[in-house]
Amino acid sequence: MSCWLAVCDTTPRDAVAAATFTADDDAGGVLAAWDGHSAPVPGAVKVDPRCIDVNGEAAWVSLVLAAPGTWLLFDDIVVSHAIRAVLAGPPVDVVSTFVIGDDRFVGALTAVHGDDRTRLGHDPFAAIFRARLIRVGAGLLGRTPTPVGPMTQRYGAANPWPWDRFPDPFTPDGVHPARHGIGDAPLC
Amino acid sequence: MCSGSDTWGDLAPGCHFPDLRLKDHVGNERSLSDLAGGDPVLLHFYRGWWCPKEQAYFRKLLRLQDEAEVAYTRFVSVSVDTPQESAAFRAGLGARWTFLSDQGRRWVHELGLLETTDSSHNPYVPTVFVLRPDLQIHASFNGYWFWGRPTNEELRQAFREITRSIRPDWHVPRK
Repeated sequence: MSCWLAVCDTTPRDAVAAATFTADDDAGGVLAAWDGHSAPVPGAVKVDPRCIDVNGEAAWVSLVLAAPGTWLLFDDIVVSHAIRAVLAGPPVDVVSTFVIGDDRFVGALTAVHGDDRTRLGHDPFAAIFRARLIRVGAGLLGRTPTPVGPMTQRYGAANPWPWDRFPDPFTPDGVHPARHGIGDAPLC
Repeated sequence: MCSGSDTWGDLAPGCHFPDLRLKDHVGNERSLSDLAGGDPVLLHFYRGWWCPKEQAYFRKLLRLQDEAEVAYTRFVSVSVDTPQESAAFRAGLGARWTFLSDQGRRWVHELGLLETTDSSHNPYVPTVFVLRPDLQIHASFNGYWFWGRPTNEELRQAFREITRSIRPDWHVPRK
């Protein structure tokens, strides 16, 4: 089971969470999240499920997305370098790379809650693909734990970084411990 | 009482390390068990940013960091520095792992790791533990004297032993 995120024109009825967004440089829209084994809509990307929280506050987001049909191997050195820069850089409230298939990097989401968008001035992923600064409404983005480090690798090739553990064979649902017991939010 | 080498009493190899809860360099409270996830952990107690011996040892760990970042292994460094001091020290070093702050000196006493010969800072005795993912102590090193600290080669050997024992596919799966 994966968590998926996509930019949509309207709120999808089957999404587990969604929020509208506005952008300075472009038309706004809706960011929506789904659970599932396969992409729910064209253009959907896999995201670290810890990002998603229906009780999350509004956030400023640096949304880095490759143009359709464009991708890099996740093991590309520019991706590794950006991840190192995230680990060494100033903290943010939410971060996840975007993955499609088993090994393709197609962007990242970096977010901060509150009004201080200057905290997003350091987004290493913005050097890889086009970045948009957007304001996402409440009901979608929670907080991801600060990555422990120094790991830069994915736990399972098809999973986005910083998701940080292999499936626990002793946990039937395979849910990350950090996703248990956080409020009553339905999550990816 | 956990049996084992009596160097550190309950912190001897074979014992389970207490599940510390401390603020990280960002200011978030973190538990050691969650930081470990499912990976081996280097748990490193150091005096503070001001100690030249710590600065020298961190330079060694920084060289190991470039291997650990691809080896499903985690580092955690703990001191009595404030989160702000830890964050600044970490950034200056170029360390890309988690630093924890025991500013209130709760755990330094509970663990029995207070360096009693420094009544000015009341810091940790420099100590390194290599932990299994469930926080069982695999190896411990008393770094009060600098040469007591583990070399990177000793750490590699410890991580290899743990990884071999916890990864069911250590032996390459065959169809």
